[in-house]
Amino acid sequence: MSRKKLTALGVKLPLFPTTSVGSFPKPEYLAKARGEFNKGKIGADQLQELERKATKFWIETQEKLGLDVLVDGEMYRGDMVAYFAERLLGFTQGGLVRSYGNRYYHKPIITGAVEWPGPVTVEWWKYAQSLTKKPVKGMLTGAYTIMDWSFNEHYTDRHATAIALAEVIRKEVEALIAAGCKIIQIDEPALSVRPEELATAIEAMETTTKGLDAYFITHACYGAFERIYPGMLDLAVDNFDLEMSNNDLSLLEVFRHHPFTKDISFGVVDVHTHTMEADATVRERVKKAMEVVSRDQIWVDPDCGLKTRTPEEAIEKLRLCVTAAKAMRN
Amino acid sequence: MSTPAPGLYLSSTGSYPRVGDTPDLQILRRTIAALDRGDRTTADLLDAENEMTRRAIGDQLKAGLDIVTDGQIRWYDPISHLAGKLENVKIGGLLRFFDTNFYFRQPVLAGKPVRRGALVVGEYSFARNALGHLPTPGEKAGKLSIKPVLTGPYTLAKFSHVEPSGNGAPDTLASLEHRAMAYAEALAAEIAALAQAGAELIQVDEPAAIKFPEDWKIFEQSLGPIVAARDKVREGGRNLELALYFYFHDCTPLYDKLVQLPADVIGLDFTYEPKLAELIQSAGSPKPLGLGLVDARNTKLEDPEVLAWQVERLLPKIGGGRAYLGPSAGLEYLPRDRAFAKLELLAKVRAAMKDLKGPKA
Repeated sequence: MSRKKLTALGVKLPLFPTTSVGSFPKPEYLAKARGEFNKGKIGADQLQELERKATKFWIETQEKLGLDVLVDGEMYRGDMVAYFAERLLGFTQGGLVRSYGNRYYHKPIITGAVEWPGPVTVEWWKYAQSLTKKPVKGMLTGAYTIMDWSFNEHYTDRHATAIALAEVIRKEVEALIAAGCKIIQIDEPALSVRPEELATAIEAMETTTKGLDAYFITHACYGAFERIYPGMLDLAVDNFDLEMSNNDLSLLEVFRHHPFTKDISFGVVDVHTHTMEADATVRERVKKAMEVVSRDQIWVDPDCGLKTRTPEEAIEKLRLCVTAAKAMRN
Repeated sequence: MSTPAPGLYLSSTGSYPRVGDTPDLQILRRTIAALDRGDRTTADLLDAENEMTRRAIGDQLKAGLDIVTDGQIRWYDPISHLAGKLENVKIGGLLRFFDTNFYFRQPVLAGKPVRRGALVVGEYSFARNALGHLPTPGEKAGKLSIKPVLTGPYTLAKFSHVEPSGNGAPDTLASLEHRAMAYAEALAAEIAALAQAGAELIQVDEPAAIKFPEDWKIFEQSLGPIVAARDKVREGGRNLELALYFYFHDCTPLYDKLVQLPADVIGLDFTYEPKLAELIQSAGSPKPLGLGLVDARNTKLEDPEVLAWQVERLLPKIGGGRAYLGPSAGLEYLPRDRAFAKLELLAKVRAAMKDLKGPKA
C-alpha cells in the first residue's frame, strides 16, 4: 500500500486525501495579460508577476477550502504538451490544429533529438511550495502523451520517440525531487488511446520513474480503459487519477473484474459541466468507490483539470470534493 | 450505368483544416467566437463557412486533385454534425475521437434517430456550385468531381449514448444493433437525396468498424439500407458509387472481409500497418481501393518516389485497375500548410509513376 511510501517520505495525509488534477481557471486579468504578451504589449516580467499573483490566489484558495495536497494551478501554462515542447530541445512549434469545436492549438513537431535544457517546472513548484506548508504536487506531462500529441519528423517510430522523451522527463523528475518535491503527478491522458501500445506507455513510465524516491500519480481521462485494464496497473506509479464521474462511474464495473492494486484519485465531480453536483451525490460517489477499492486507497478530487470552468465554479467543485471527503472521514 | 475509367485518381479523404496561421485564414474561427459573444449573426457565420469552403476546394484544385470534397468545413465534428440534425437526438459532452487529440460531442438518444430533413445535401450543393465557379486547370475541364462524405451508421451508433431508461428512450435503443439500423435508415434517405442532387460517388466513413471487430455483424448488417439506397438510385438510371473508408486502425486483420463488403470502393489507411501493402500485393483486391498511403496524422512528408513505387506495384492487383490515392484520413489533423503540402504530394506521386495508364493530369 502506498500510504507506507508516503509516510516514509514524511508526508502524512488523512483518510480520503483531497487534491485536484492540476489546472485552474486563469483570472480575467491573467487571461488578458497573456493576450497582451502574445501581441508584444507587455514583457515577460510583467506577465510572470501576474502569473505569480494568480498562483498565490489559488494556493490560498485551496488552503481555505481545506484541500490536503495542493497544485500550483498552472497559471503559467497553456496547453499541457505545448508548454513542455516550447521548453525542451528538439521541438518546433507547428501550425494550428483543432482540439474541438472552435478550439485550436499549436501542435508541436519533433524535428530533432529531444533534450532537457535544465529545470522547466522546478522554479514554479518551489514558488508554490513556499506559499504553503501543505504538500504541493510537481506537475509534469508524461512521455507517451507528449509523443502522441506531437508530430514526429525525427524518430523512426512512436516507441523510440516515447522512450527518448521519457529519458528527458526523468531528468525533470530528478530535478523536482532534488528541490524537495515528494509527490509528483505525471499526466498521461493519451494512455488508453492505442491499447496495442500499452507496453510502450509502461516502458516509458518505468524509464521516467524507476528507482526515484517520490510518490507518483498519473492522471488519465477520456479513455477506453476497459481495453487496457488490468494491464495498465503495471504502470510504474503509486496512484491513478481517473475521470470517473463524467461517465457515470462506469469504470467501476471494469475494476470489479480485477482488483485495483494501486491508490486511486477518484474523480467525484464532472468538470465538463456548469452544473454543480449535490453534496449527497458526491458522497455517494465516494461510497461507490469503496465497493471496489479499500478506503485507504482512495483520494478524492475532480475528474480532470478545472481550467475550463469559471473561478467560482472551480471553487465550488473543489468545495464539493472537500466536503464529501470530510463527511466520509467521520 | 457507366463505370469510371481505370487509372489512378487523386482524391481527398474528407476534412480539410478550417483555419490557418494567417489572418485571412482565421475568418471562420473569429466569426464563430464573435457569434458566441453576440457580435455577429448566423448570416455572418454562413458567409465565413462559405468562404472557407471555397478556399478548401480551391486548395484541392490547385494541388491537382481529381475528386475533391467540401473539406467538411461546417462540421463541428464527424459525429454530432450528422446525428445532431436527426430527430430525437440531443448533443452531449465531449469524448475523444479515436486515438486523436480531437474531441467530438456525443449524441444522446431520447428515441429512434429519424431524418426529418437533409443532413448535408445543402452543403454538397453549395460545394458543387463553388467547384463550378472556381478556375479549373485546362486539362481537368469536365473531369473533376466532388464527393460528399458521411459518417457511417455503425460509427454513429457506437459513439451514441442512450438516455437512461425511464427518460423516454425506448428500451430497444439500448441495443447497438437497433441504433445502427436506425442511423442506417436515416443515412439511406440522405444518400438518395445526395444522388438526386447530383452526387455520383459518396464516401461513407466507418472507422469504428475496424477498431471494434467484435461488432462486425452489426456493422455489416447496418450497411443493408445504405446499399439498398444505392441500388435503387442505380435502378432509376443514375450513376452512383459507394465508397466505404476505414482509418485510425490496422486494416490488415479484417482485409479479406473489407474487400468483400458490398461497396464499390474500399478506402484503407496504410499508416497503422506497413504490411498492408504487401498483403494487397499478394491477395489482390476484387474491387477498386482508396489508397490512404499519405499520412494524414503526421507532418513529415513522404518521399513521392517511394510512394509511386508502391502504387505501381499495387495498381495491377486492384480490381478494375482503378484506385484512389489520398491521405490516410481527413486532413484536419494537420496544420493547414502541411495539409496542402500533403495534397501536393499526391500529384507528385502520380507524376513520379513510370507507366501509368488512365488519368494522369
